[in-house]
Amino acid sequence: MAQSNRRASGGRIDRNQPLQFTFNGKSYEGFKGDTLASALLANGVRVTARSFKYHRPRGIMGHGPEEPATLVELDGEDASGNRPATTVPLRDGLSARSVNCWPSPEFDLGGINQLFERFLPAGFYYKTFKWPNWHLFEPSIRKAAGLAAAPAKPPARGHFEARNAHADVLIAGAGPAGLQAALEAARAGMRVFLADEGAEAGGSLLHRNLTIGGRPAMDWVADAVAELRGMENVIHLQNATVWAYREHNLLIVNQRDPEQDSILERSWRVRAGEVVIATGATERALVFGGNDRPGVMLASSVQAYVNRWGVTPGQRVVLFTNNNSAYAVAADLAVAGVTVEAILDSRNTVPKAALDLVSGITVRSGTVVSDVRGHKRVRAVKAVPANGGAGTWITCDLLACSGGWNPTVHLWSQSRSTLRFDEELAAFCPDQAVQSCRAVGAAAGVLTLDRIVDGGEDLTYRIEPLWRVDVPGQRGKAFLDVQNDVAVSDVHLALREGYDNAEHVKRYTTGGMGIDQGKTGNINIIGTVALQKGVPLQEVGTTTFRSPYTPVSFGAIGGLREETVLFPYRHTPVTQWNKDNGAVMYEAGARWRRPGYFPKPGEDLQEAVNRECRAVREGVGVYDGSPLGTFELKGRDVPQFLDFIYSNIMSSLKPGDGRYGLMLSEDGLILDDGVAFRLDEHRWMISTSTGHADAVNQQMEKLLQTEFPNWQVMITTVTSQWNNATICGPMAREVMHALGTDIDLSPEAFPFMSFRDGTVAGFPARVVRVSFTGELSYEVNVAPRHMAELWGKVMEAGAPFGILPVGSESSHVLRVEKGFLSLGHEVDGTVDAYDLGMGWAMSKKKPDYLGKRSVALRRSGGGTRRELVGILPEDPNRPIPEGAPLTPGGRKEATDGLVTACVWSVVNNRWVGLALLQNGHARQGETAHVRVKDDVIPVTVTKPVFHDPEGKLLRS
Amino acid sequence: MMLLTCPFCGKRNESEFIYGGPVGADRPDPNAVSDAEWVEYLTVTPNPLGPVREKWWHARGCGGWFAIWRDTRTHDIVEVPDGTK
Amino acid sequence: MSYKVNIARQSLNALFDLKGSPAAILTWVEGALPALPERPNSRTRRDALDLYHIGRDHWIVRAPLGLEGRLETQLRPTDCPADISIVRVSDTLTFFRVTGLQAADVMAIACPLDLHDTAFDADAVTYSELFGLKALVMRCEGGFEFAVEQSFGDMITDYLTRATA
Repeated sequence: MAQSNRRASGGRIDRNQPLQFTFNGKSYEGFKGDTLASALLANGVRVTARSFKYHRPRGIMGHGPEEPATLVELDGEDASGNRPATTVPLRDGLSARSVNCWPSPEFDLGGINQLFERFLPAGFYYKTFKWPNWHLFEPSIRKAAGLAAAPAKPPARGHFEARNAHADVLIAGAGPAGLQAALEAARAGMRVFLADEGAEAGGSLLHRNLTIGGRPAMDWVADAVAELRGMENVIHLQNATVWAYREHNLLIVNQRDPEQDSILERSWRVRAGEVVIATGATERALVFGGNDRPGVMLASSVQAYVNRWGVTPGQRVVLFTNNNSAYAVAADLAVAGVTVEAILDSRNTVPKAALDLVSGITVRSGTVVSDVRGHKRVRAVKAVPANGGAGTWITCDLLACSGGWNPTVHLWSQSRSTLRFDEELAAFCPDQAVQSCRAVGAAAGVLTLDRIVDGGEDLTYRIEPLWRVDVPGQRGKAFLDVQNDVAVSDVHLALREGYDNAEHVKRYTTGGMGIDQGKTGNINIIGTVALQKGVPLQEVGTTTFRSPYTPVSFGAIGGLREETVLFPYRHTPVTQWNKDNGAVMYEAGARWRRPGYFPKPGEDLQEAVNRECRAVREGVGVYDGSPLGTFELKGRDVPQFLDFIYSNIMSSLKPGDGRYGLMLSEDGLILDDGVAFRLDEHRWMISTSTGHADAVNQQMEKLLQTEFPNWQVMITTVTSQWNNATICGPMAREVMHALGTDIDLSPEAFPFMSFRDGTVAGFPARVVRVSFTGELSYEVNVAPRHMAELWGKVMEAGAPFGILPVGSESSHVLRVEKGFLSLGHEVDGTVDAYDLGMGWAMSKKKPDYLGKRSVALRRSGGGTRRELVGILPEDPNRPIPEGAPLTPGGRKEATDGLVTACVWSVVNNRWVGLALLQNGHARQGETAHVRVKDDVIPVTVTKPVFHDPEGKLLRS
Repeated sequence: MMLLTCPFCGKRNESEFIYGGPVGADRPDPNAVSDAEWVEYLTVTPNPLGPVREKWWHARGCGGWFAIWRDTRTHDIVEVPDGTK
Repeated sequence: MSYKVNIARQSLNALFDLKGSPAAILTWVEGALPALPERPNSRTRRDALDLYHIGRDHWIVRAPLGLEGRLETQLRPTDCPADISIVRVSDTLTFFRVTGLQAADVMAIACPLDLHDTAFDADAVTYSELFGLKALVMRCEGGFEFAVEQSFGDMITDYLTRATA
């Protein structure tokens, strides 16, 4: 019968809005306002899960994020795994499955594990599957003991969002204490951020029949919510969990179901002046034999299902408690027409105020439950005197337990604020605040409404702790952590084996881990350890509360960062042209996207690269050099500054001239190579490699601001003020003439390593004669606003000369042919300028510059070093993978060096390479051996240059 | 995500800054120290359990470099090294 | 569009980067610029000229592109004395405007800075972080304006499109 356990009236559900859903393939109906859990209970579904390790049948135990037993995987649009059924709002068409069982929780083949329970104690896997190696067994164990799988497909619609917020006060929890705090702060004009994990504000008032000022408490809640809604200085979110409390009062809130359809979940990063923790309290489970059977529930959850969702999870109820709160539950059940068979109270004396609430109901003080009868549902419980003695079985179909209340101190504790054990409440409570925060209401240990809101009426809270039932003759397994199948016997085993610290017990037994993080059971683990060791509970202490407080989607943490914007990217004005002309685009340094090569239809990479390289060597090519880092330096002290940061001398440059140089870091390693130009007396421009522009900028600013604050040097980044088309090849000068320029291009008037300002193709331009290809090159720099147009004109003017665009693959070939170094290839964090054959760049004249002393120190020990050489494979058609090791004779021995680059040289018509080789400079002409998988490649060691060794062409 | 106080911009998210390492010894004249002293300068940096003076660069802000005392145990930014806030 | 906003990528502005002591700057530019802003991360305005104080001894002059030539003539970047630096940087930044009812919501996705009017007033202008990039942020009529390094312009467009999809 549909919704057989639904009450005829009452609850905060809309009976006029039925919703259809499926659970493990069966169809059910619920109502708007239900959670998946309340709808399943309404339909009388008792077994909703199988346990993690033993595959024991489990039911729904809680009503919120504390739920330890029933985890589900959602399909389709909601695709997500490991959601507690109590936190899944019901919607039409929802499709959910239990995790960790096959084929269904009612009939689960994994249940066979129950027969071997006594062979699966804590630490079982560690002890058993250690030979030969855990990884051999891991996959099958993970499958058997695992939770839900990650969704195979991304959500069908929408995206995740992360956003920032700022508040004078952030309030976590919109129960009575949180609402009260929000009202006070908001009325004082503060910027208030109020977030609550539930679908509705009210906290515990949603399911407790209390009054404030003589009216139903929920009327007070409605008034408070309405007042807050009307205030501009308030952000009030429901379905929004404050799950992390980070340093400097940064809190992270996960909001589900934001108002926009297109947004799946929103992550708020809130920086708050003050934090009010009003997260309420969580009811604790009780520990006795069979306390995990379907039909054993938290008392407050039974109350919530009856009052809030209009569901009666059982018809004949026994309550088991060690505190007063369960008496209000019994009273509510009686009102709802549920038969309360008995209240079993472990305390010898029950306060009169509690008894007064339940007149007519049997109360047996000094009594505990020792065992439960029933496999897939509770059929009877055994009531036993707490101090031992004969027990009696009470027939029932539901056992509602209350082990007392824990203030929900997760956020408090995450903030590093301290806890104290309160003897009266038998719970850990907030003590000293470390950040700017305070706890209020139940989270602060104030467990009655009347002390939170004026005019509230509530039963006084009294408790006598009961960490576990320990009476003779107990038979069933007593679980401390239902989710992880950790029983009292497991904790005892851990203690016997020497794991007696709370953190060690947790890791050895897995008690308190998992989705629920032991919200209902941790305290009982601590209590069990304390009892066994015979020490006070506060001496055992708690395990560390870490974020997240409840599970959070990875997507929400990532926010928008996915797909094309997962990483930043940079374009030049030529990017579109490159794409339009068939370029294969690469990720280059510093996030630039650059063309790798420009294949013609039917051409492969090597054919395209050969064609581009031949154009540069024999005719003319052009590449977009815009990404090079460019900085303008100004001030009287620029010369001495450049002399300090470059290894060679820059101060002697005349205006209009430039020089290639190396920049070292203080430890003597090569930071960058680049070119410095003197624009005039006090103005300079330097260019850096693309990938190291930011690092160079950082180094320069750090030196100037922290080491030499009195030096007059002002740096302006102009990387994106100057774009350039670099025209290179023997015909470059002809192309420049064809473009039209007022600059005298003759080698005498405009030699290599100088620059001239003028116009090119009608655009104001700074033309620089540098060369990264070894050919005659003109780097035509213009403002980016002119770059796309300039590029078009270059292609037009160069067409008669067969000009081709050149991608980064060809640039690589061209620089290897010339033996020009590349950071990250030849410069690897071990080599210095001498190793590269660039000792000329290490000034002997300057007494000091960055890295000088360290290079000298490193070389002072003598010994051989890896040095840059050229290599020619003896078989000219044999390519060598870049990075391949060189070993003595190609034998399996310690390496002699490595191949840093190997390219097909169009000028030599063979493969050529560069390598860092031990004592390489002295080994020219020798044969060395590259060792690759299944082969040894003999190579001839040469000078690291394969084209125009005198450099006549680039100076032409 | 710490909140750091830039002398020019005020309190800003840590993500605007780049860490510049602890403040170590002043750079000695490299021609006036022994090898051992030079190595000491290069490699030995303060690493206390407690307040440490360190450099930060407001790279995504005003571009200023500055130094703060940060307690390595708690991330508390303290004004003086005895831990006073 | 899930947010009620207008997003517009702006065309070029004339921009000049100024560095040096206030006294040295004032001596050189005389009356060519608005008064130097007194507070860090604030701006002054005169006619079509904006002057942003965005770092210690560091300003940015902003004007419509049509005034670039005139400003260049007045500021004489290549002739200024050694103790100040003036560099034309018009092309280095791409400006975006996010305006409309929910402009602040979209900015909150992009930027960790508190842009509430009590914390970020009409004259505020500052470098901060937008989608993880360094960005110049300020208010404009009906919302916010920001600028990122020009080469990131397409990525920011991509990001804003995704944010408001």
